[in-house]
Amino acid sequence: MPTIDVNGKPYETDEEGYLVNLADWNEDVANFIAKAENVEMSENHWEVVNFLRKYYDEYQIAPAVRVLTKAIGKQLGADKGNSQYLYELFPYGPAKQACKIAGLPKPTGCV
Amino acid sequence: MSAASGPTPGFDRQGELGDEARVDAAMKSFVREFGVTAALHVESCVRCGQCAEACHFYRATGDAKYTPIRKLEPFRRAYFREAGPFAPIVRALNLVRKPTIGELEQWQELLFDSCTMCGRCTLVCPMGIDIAELVKEARHGMFKAGLVPERLALMDRAARQWGSTATPGEDLPDILAEVSAEHGVPIPCDLPSADILVTAAPAELDAHTKSLADAARILNRIGARWTMHREGFDASNIGFNNGDLALQERLTRALIDTAVKIGAKTLLLPECGHAYGAARWEAARWYGDALPVRIIHMTEFLDELISSGRIRVNRIGATATFHDPCQIVRRGGLEAAARRVLAALGFELIELQDHGLTGYCCGGGGGVVSNQRAAPLRYKVFDLKKGQVEATGAEHFVTSCGQCRITLEAGARNAGWDKSPESLLELVADNLAD
Repeated sequence: MPTIDVNGKPYETDEEGYLVNLADWNEDVANFIAKAENVEMSENHWEVVNFLRKYYDEYQIAPAVRVLTKAIGKQLGADKGNSQYLYELFPYGPAKQACKIAGLPKPTGCV
Repeated sequence: MSAASGPTPGFDRQGELGDEARVDAAMKSFVREFGVTAALHVESCVRCGQCAEACHFYRATGDAKYTPIRKLEPFRRAYFREAGPFAPIVRALNLVRKPTIGELEQWQELLFDSCTMCGRCTLVCPMGIDIAELVKEARHGMFKAGLVPERLALMDRAARQWGSTATPGEDLPDILAEVSAEHGVPIPCDLPSADILVTAAPAELDAHTKSLADAARILNRIGARWTMHREGFDASNIGFNNGDLALQERLTRALIDTAVKIGAKTLLLPECGHAYGAARWEAARWYGDALPVRIIHMTEFLDELISSGRIRVNRIGATATFHDPCQIVRRGGLEAAARRVLAALGFELIELQDHGLTGYCCGGGGGVVSNQRAAPLRYKVFDLKKGQVEATGAEHFVTSCGQCRITLEAGARNAGWDKSPESLLELVADNLAD
């Protein structure tokens, strides 16, 4: 399996770059993955990433994009719970890209 | 990224059961599965080894641990210890050891990573042992023990919460509206009454939206009264692949109950392999009665429309080869239907060396495509298929299962191979004659 090296420590990822072990995640790892994705982490990015971690804690799944958008709208307000806002933060898909940075598995679909 | 220093065991666990409790849960489930058929099957293996030669995982690696019947070893042990005619003696003298948690974890790889339940082993077994079906039953025990690959468990949790691995049903109208706008084709949703209930594979709501739009185009062309419905839209069944029988039943019922509710006579399945196995061939078992609706695969539907003259297609006039999806052809029986559609499209068919009932699986069935850690093994299997496709020299490479396509596309990407599988449905839709 591929690994990423953060602060001299290797972390296992799958072939698409998602962390294999949820427990491996920390903010340095998140920053490293974000950089590889060309995402400059701002407070707004962290808000979504932290939201996702909490969401996973509660439901044990990574949300699909519409589920994420609605849940964020409910908790953080309608100005953030819309896909335009989320895509600006995570251009390659708020669910997939933000989950990757949050150290969660890729949201499920067919595969 | 750099290569890891060495392979790390990736045996996944779900839930908080202790080791002993996991082994017991698995054994209890194995034993419950032992009807007369399973017992006969377990008793009758003559160790001829033909199933090994039939298995793409064995063929691609030469590793004896991938011998199909061997994947059932914990199942076999459960039988002799708990259910066989000499079980008390076997147990008292410990003639057959109870599996350890470590062994069950090893078997997780054998049952989930290196078996697609494609049934090629079943086909060649001289004793008629349905190894693929027994693997499915063994997976049920592994699910009970909380010992399935985490990626599959994640999909299971999603489907339990949403009724689909892709999306909650309440979001279906929005998704269909987007697909409809993107491809410029009306897709009816949640109609209270229709003749045909149309279902999708999750990929068709995401990466393969063209397939869904193409199905819509054909259904609209013939003036069908059809709809998709938020209460039963996802034909895939992760419960079928994971051995999560409660979920399998729930997902199956959602489809049939929705069809009945809207008065549909036909339930149309997408180009998906295991959906056909789950909905066409196993549904009655979960429904508990004769099916109140006709369940057909997209390939059957295309074949019927073309054969009856309800649609006509332009002839492409090129050479093509066809990958037979195992759940649809070997286990599903639709070998001729796909070939009639190919012929109508004017293809000169050049068959793969192994085709039809004996075709090799793409390597991704039974959930293997979703199981990230199985990717290296899947790529080895892909080489087998790639070699056979290349040997035909055909211009087109066609198949009728979206999951096969995803698996073969990933294999091609990894191998730097420039051929990509085409969908039979998309070829028909793209070549509809006026």
